[in-house]
Amino acid sequence: MSPPDRPTREETGRRATLPEPATMLEARQAREARRRARGRRAAGPPNPLREGLRLERMPDPCAFVLFGGTGDLAHRKVLPALLQLWRTHLLPHEFAVVALGRRPYDDETFRAEVRSSLEAHARVAVEPAVVDEFLARVVYLRGDLAEPETYERLAARLGELDEAAGTGGNYLFYLATQPSAFAPIVEAIGRVGLDHETRAGGWRRIVIEKPFGRDVESAQRLNREVAKVFRESQVYRIDHYLGKETVRNLLVFRFANGIFEPIWNRRYVDHVQITVAESIGVETRGSFYEETGASRDFLQNHLMQLLALVAMEPPASLDADPLRDEKVKVIRAIAPMDPAVVGRDVVRGQYGPGWVAGLPVVGYREEPEVDPRSETETFVAARLLVDTWRWSGVPFYVRTGKRLPKRATEIAIGFREVPHRLFGDVAATPEPNLLAMRIQPDEGILLRFEAKVPGLGLDVRAVNMDFSYGSSFNVDSPDAYETLILDALLGDASLFTRADEVEAAWDVVTPIVDAWLDQPPPTFPDYEAGTWGPASADALLARDGRRWRRI
Amino acid sequence: MTGTGQMAAAAAPTVLRWDARAGSVDEIERELARIWASADLEVETPHGPERRIAARSSVLNLVVVARRPELGIRAAATVGGLSGRHPSRTIILAAMDPDGPSSFDARVEAACAMPTMETFESCTEVIHLALGGETGRHLAATVAPLLVHDLPVVVWWPGDPPLDSEQAVALLELADRLVVDGSSWSGDGLARLAQLARLTARGRPTVFDFAVVRQARWREAIASVFDRTEFQPYLRAIRSLDVRYASRPDTPTGTTNVVKPVYHVAWLASRLGMTVSEPLVETDSGDAGAEPGPIAAVAPDRSIQGRGRIGLLRAGRRVVRVGLRPVASTMPSGTTLRVDIVAERRRSALRAEVTAEADGVRVRAAIDGGPAFDRFYLAPRATDVQLLMAAIESGGRDRVTDDAIRLAGALVGSGAS
Repeated sequence: MSPPDRPTREETGRRATLPEPATMLEARQAREARRRARGRRAAGPPNPLREGLRLERMPDPCAFVLFGGTGDLAHRKVLPALLQLWRTHLLPHEFAVVALGRRPYDDETFRAEVRSSLEAHARVAVEPAVVDEFLARVVYLRGDLAEPETYERLAARLGELDEAAGTGGNYLFYLATQPSAFAPIVEAIGRVGLDHETRAGGWRRIVIEKPFGRDVESAQRLNREVAKVFRESQVYRIDHYLGKETVRNLLVFRFANGIFEPIWNRRYVDHVQITVAESIGVETRGSFYEETGASRDFLQNHLMQLLALVAMEPPASLDADPLRDEKVKVIRAIAPMDPAVVGRDVVRGQYGPGWVAGLPVVGYREEPEVDPRSETETFVAARLLVDTWRWSGVPFYVRTGKRLPKRATEIAIGFREVPHRLFGDVAATPEPNLLAMRIQPDEGILLRFEAKVPGLGLDVRAVNMDFSYGSSFNVDSPDAYETLILDALLGDASLFTRADEVEAAWDVVTPIVDAWLDQPPPTFPDYEAGTWGPASADALLARDGRRWRRI
Repeated sequence: MTGTGQMAAAAAPTVLRWDARAGSVDEIERELARIWASADLEVETPHGPERRIAARSSVLNLVVVARRPELGIRAAATVGGLSGRHPSRTIILAAMDPDGPSSFDARVEAACAMPTMETFESCTEVIHLALGGETGRHLAATVAPLLVHDLPVVVWWPGDPPLDSEQAVALLELADRLVVDGSSWSGDGLARLAQLARLTARGRPTVFDFAVVRQARWREAIASVFDRTEFQPYLRAIRSLDVRYASRPDTPTGTTNVVKPVYHVAWLASRLGMTVSEPLVETDSGDAGAEPGPIAAVAPDRSIQGRGRIGLLRAGRRVVRVGLRPVASTMPSGTTLRVDIVAERRRSALRAEVTAEADGVRVRAAIDGGPAFDRFYLAPRATDVQLLMAAIESGGRDRVTDDAIRLAGALVGSGAS
């Protein structure tokens, strides 16, 4: 394997400081240069032997570089997902994990720590011999991520692994660190030239965890910093919700079933409700949550992604860009929020003490690392309008919160009432049809329709036809991280968020949080833990003559 | 009926089992109805009364044709290994003494795995049918009334399915998918492979062959060579394909199953749009796949034993030589040991060789003798349970498999290409 074509520092710096084209001539020259570069990188015609090998495809030999290797996310999610992929033979034989951290470990002490966390967090029990095989591929690199020297040592270590482990110059950088470290790490990777793909086939990719910015401006800034080093096609922004089996099933449900598409529009749909409810509080993430709140933690990403998948037009294909093009169109079509709209259509709340699952719990302001006078919202509900031909006038009610009665994620499509109540005299309360897609737990799809109650009379009652995902496919679903990490290793970005998508979602959320800054302090706490949020959330729908679906 | 609502196992998940015997299709239906009616009762568990079985869902009908008792036992164990992952009605058919008097004996089993924190409730039904005499020759007529309405029908036919027989044709009329294992067929397996190719060419049912699935890692290994952009032009310049397979010493010609070696060639050729110019014929082993000309031929191998097979493919105007060569080996007969691909383009030669290793396959490629690619793939042997699971889970028609089977048929002279 030939060594990577690494640029000099001067080259990297020059690329980073190229001015934006100002004139048509400069713009055309820049475009031609981009085309030439694309031509050099082009992968050639598709390999005809690859057809039908989708599920058998093995990622290229590679090194998985885990920044924040000693952190909670790495130990709870990333490393168990890698072990599971290894166990199921979905990782290449020539594979290595390079974990970076500041703790004074060597390879063996780090492996011992990983072994114990794998025992605690592995999704299924794994044979010790398989764990040994996996751990033999894990190495630890101690270093301060703020020190340039760390990255030089990383480059050297990766070079050694290319020789010793046959990782072939393919590197995937996974940023499981504090968000504040993202930009400096990316810059440092670029400084030592580890971002540069080689003509001999060595690819470089970077996976970035949420939150990606905290508002439009910071997201744009971070995107710019990342773009100075990596091309967009090398960047994989992870929203683990998109890796969930039932979220992926949404695409199948919508686009593999011909019966739904004709009614999937304003003519038949009355409104849509999307709920992402958590019964847990902030646990040990009090300081993190103080800075984010429900809007930044869930609304900007998970809820926006679910909304986009429900409302988007059919993509031309399930390749990354056609799919993301359609999602971003929907998010951009969400009606803009000004302070008056925010005051009318967005509700925030914060939980106080209460009971959840039969146990007493403290209020948010009593949680560890939380300001006793905190104004951070732990609940947000919004009425959003998607201004497109398909959805004009159909409200999308979204809500998310902590310390709600149960953990549940659901999308409910409420259909319009029948035009004429033929059975108006006999049906007590005729209910419009409803299609509910449960994302978690108890994944499945429910259709509510009216049926005649058996008997001599003509009573009509709503009944549910309930498809339970688990009882029809009693199979072991992969964890979202397994799906997403494997996709990143295979170079499939369809389930990752693109830069413009992130910024479009911030365009929706930033005016909301900005408007709150200008409003008088909220009267928090305003909902009891273990209830479905503040009364104002119910009022938001009641105003339109609707109510939240009981989950 | 026996065992109603009794706990079969204390370990989680709790599995409730019922069984009954029946002497006709009507009795089977009555017994099943009775089982599910009685199942709708409160169940005593160590923790007190537990929930009722209120609803059950099924996703398919699985029909297993086991013409020998040992196949029936093995198939039942494999179906049992699915562990309720696929709620289904399984009908295991055993045809007894075709020349004896007509007989019909059925054992009906039902089981429900109760839900746990991690799993959902899942119920399955297994009907063991032993059919004797004339009744055993009318499998379709017996099976048709027992199928759950409107669900896919998968017919798994372990052993040697007589695919051209009247009873098979009638049974496969009911089927959406046929599952076979070409590598387990008796003899060299080629006559049956030709029948399978003709069936595939008809378009229904879809065919799932364990032998094709077992080669997945080999295909991945071969494909990975041509992921390299600079190697892709050689795909259009292949001159020879050579497959060596294991054969026992002193094995008479025609008794080693060569279905898997044929599939290797057929898959590659079908993906590259090749057609069969001359079907495989037996030849002296030293000649099989030998490649004259500027590219070094696959050297005659002293380990080669018995007669090999050669044939010719055509890719446009280019002729591609095919060789299948038996090699003395302790591996099970018919196991692929090595695939060699030789391509020549603009006075440059690419040779790719994929070899079986202890727990996987290794692929190496060389350009003009210089090493250019080397990769190892773990390839654990899939169990019958895993393969059957894959057969059930993969829906629809697999064009790649169809193409490979049709081309394999043409290679062995079925005229199904």
